[in-house]
Amino acid sequence: MSMIPAAIRFLSLLLLAAQSGAAVQDAVAEAARGTALSREGKYELAIQHYKAALRLDSHLPGLYLNLGLAYFKSKRLPEAAAAFEQAVRADSESFQAHALLGMSYYGCTRYADAAAQLKLASNAQPDNLELRYTLAQSYLASNQYPQAVAEFHFLLSKNPDSAPVHILLGEVLDASNQIEAATTEFEAAMKASPVPPDGHFGLGYLYWKQQRYEEACHEFEAELETQPQHTQALTYLGDAEMHADRNQRAETHLRRSLALDANNRLAHLDLGILLAGRNESAEATRCFREAIRIDPSKPDAHYRFGRLLSSLGRQQEAQAEFEKVKKLAADEPPPPLLSLPGRRVP
Amino acid sequence: MTVAAACIVVSGQNAPSPIHFSYRPIGFRLDSCETPRRHAPETMAGGVAVFDYNNDGYLDIFFTNGADILSLKKTAPKYSNRLFENDGKGNFTDVTGKAGLAGTGFDNGVAIGDYDNDGREDIFVGGIHGNHLYHNDGGTFTDVTAKAGLAAPDRQYGPLWSVGGAWVDVNNDGLLDLLVVNYLAWDPNTEPSCEAAPGKLDYCHPKFYKATPNQLFLNNGDGTFRDISAESGIRAHPGKGMGIGVADYDLDGLMDFFIANDKMNNSLFHNKGGAHFEEVAFDAGVALTEDGKFISGMGADFRDVDNDGLPDIVFAALDGEMFPLFRNLAKRGFADATRSSGIARLTLPMAGYSSTIADFDNDGWKDLFVTRGHVQALGLGSKVQIDQPNTVFRNLGGAKFQALTEEAGLSAQPPARHRGSAVADLNADGRLDVVATALSAPAELWLNDSPGGAHWLELKLDGTASNRDGIGARIKVTAGGHVQYNHVSFAAGYASSSAAPTHFGLGPEASASLIEIRWPSGIMQELKDVVSDRIIRVKEPHP
Repeated sequence: MSMIPAAIRFLSLLLLAAQSGAAVQDAVAEAARGTALSREGKYELAIQHYKAALRLDSHLPGLYLNLGLAYFKSKRLPEAAAAFEQAVRADSESFQAHALLGMSYYGCTRYADAAAQLKLASNAQPDNLELRYTLAQSYLASNQYPQAVAEFHFLLSKNPDSAPVHILLGEVLDASNQIEAATTEFEAAMKASPVPPDGHFGLGYLYWKQQRYEEACHEFEAELETQPQHTQALTYLGDAEMHADRNQRAETHLRRSLALDANNRLAHLDLGILLAGRNESAEATRCFREAIRIDPSKPDAHYRFGRLLSSLGRQQEAQAEFEKVKKLAADEPPPPLLSLPGRRVP
Repeated sequence: MTVAAACIVVSGQNAPSPIHFSYRPIGFRLDSCETPRRHAPETMAGGVAVFDYNNDGYLDIFFTNGADILSLKKTAPKYSNRLFENDGKGNFTDVTGKAGLAGTGFDNGVAIGDYDNDGREDIFVGGIHGNHLYHNDGGTFTDVTAKAGLAAPDRQYGPLWSVGGAWVDVNNDGLLDLLVVNYLAWDPNTEPSCEAAPGKLDYCHPKFYKATPNQLFLNNGDGTFRDISAESGIRAHPGKGMGIGVADYDLDGLMDFFIANDKMNNSLFHNKGGAHFEEVAFDAGVALTEDGKFISGMGADFRDVDNDGLPDIVFAALDGEMFPLFRNLAKRGFADATRSSGIARLTLPMAGYSSTIADFDNDGWKDLFVTRGHVQALGLGSKVQIDQPNTVFRNLGGAKFQALTEEAGLSAQPPARHRGSAVADLNADGRLDVVATALSAPAELWLNDSPGGAHWLELKLDGTASNRDGIGARIKVTAGGHVQYNHVSFAAGYASSSAAPTHFGLGPEASASLIEIRWPSGIMQELKDVVSDRIIRVKEPHP
């Protein structure tokens, strides 16, 4: 720069300012067109105009926010997130920018990023319950359980009877290995009317994990009254009945469960146990083999199968199964509710 | 059945607990040299024994104790093992120095047995990289480890970490042999560091250490022992042993071993005769819990809990794992009865160490006493309960149990990391008491003051053709039509030994109509119409 004469430098600046003023005017016009189209729900066209406006003046206030909204409404969430990121860069104090960026991240399943943005937004509007609910869900989905618990507690302080919040809090507590507290939350949710979908199943599952089989059966049956095809409820009902020594009922539920989902490992395993118990070795063998096929990494089926083979005098095959058990050396507690197949996806 | 039914509390908010204990202090504090580094042995100390060291008829208490963790030497008096003499009323005096039992190393477990049949109980102390055999000279003890041939380190594994063992006559030659239970391979110089949270060390999971074999030493009858670990078949199955139960589970007249392993499959050593064993845990159904899980097997006991004449297995484990109960189904192996007995649900949140099977309410059904406490360290913000109270599980008639903690008076002391326990009637009132240890805490004497005034009977066996202690003798008692069984075995719980007369609760019956004893020698003996509420000495008849 020091090599350029001062006069030329001055002229250049004047020219730039003139061009810039015209560009700003054009950019404003393009942006206005984009906004009009957005209002008509023509988001794709609106996006074109917002982009044109950006090419003319990338510093126009609110332009990235509007572009992001158009992307968001046309469900192009990664592009929306990129636009909102620019909006945040342009105005790091903007509640809207943080909130919308957070929502976009959430939609892109970037839950940890979502939680960070939504937390910033909620600092600006602490009583925005919709925002806090999504923030809580983001914490939950990104395994930030202590923060999720705090958010859900806040939401319950505003609405103590919210069944969905009780259930979500229960799931977080379950995932945090606080099963008794989780049960309390599910029990609170069950007082709502109508009972939320999966609510009885969730409570039943928590009872099941605590070996409270009678109560578990009651809840699974309640779930099946409204959702007769609920495979998980059928399976765990069968398992609970088996542990309560009601084998005939257990078998009925397990077979119904398998009719709905032939790849249900637990149902195959339990059915194998029941059949082995009454010396129906051939069918028990088929069940155990099926359970092993579905998930060979679980030691329980290998162990049960090995025990059956051993009782049949097939020691070599039994030993082979026992060796597999030893290799697996499993240390697995029952999975948390959140991880069960078919459970909630935020 | 009628005996149990008579004792069940049906209703009443203030009904006294059918089993109740009162706390009595005893001047011992377990010191395992806990350091921020969290060396594995620091959390595993705490074996205790009850036995009559001076043959005065009263049961005394011996505590093992830790040592400096790096030198494994008892560098200060606080690490001394301790022997307390009982005055017969439950008052105890420290006689360690006089008896010569202070010890030298980091001691972990204890097994009592009269290995030389001289009528005086001897002591085996298992420790970290060093075991000791103390011969009872008549109230004083001599360390005879080297002379007995028990001092040599393992040729392959080097020095081992023993959590105790069991005295048992494996070949029925009338001499007690020694099974030493070894935990895992530990070396302070190569031990891993395990963080429970950033910068906060906690005890490592057993998977970070190698398994080690148990050892079997055959009694030569001249004060020496021969290591038959390999030729007996024991050595071929290394484990991470924490508990041993001894019983003749298949009633073939030969004593078998169950060993609870930590996060490994358990071992069941079936005695084939001639001091040869086969490991049959998987086939018998006791290797793992019914769902094939590797749990933290802790202290075990192996006795008949359902009065069907077949010894069953109980051992403790950590929270979320439940305390397994394996019911003996004779030729059909064992069934995991943890769930059906109610123990699963009761113990799901518990962490336990030492489980012993004994009849605490004298109703004719054996109950379970479990010392509780976690293996992990204190103060790391863990969700698991580190300090826990002890719990007694009352047998409601063979197949179901009820947990009694606060009701049984066991919350009278703060929760702690309890470890070993021994069971005996320490104050001669006919009710079984418990002595328990706890890490970095005072030992606890729990005197049984259960209500009900049920009758009882204790048998102190005196073997002649069989070993002097009568270990392995099977006893069947019939009283009022109720039949129950037990056998003589001092090995019970975690790292501990209960060398007391064999106790039977008789409920309302003032006498036992028939007592049948099958001695390890094979000799059968019958006693008829035995009046209750006393200890009877039974000498083995000559063939």
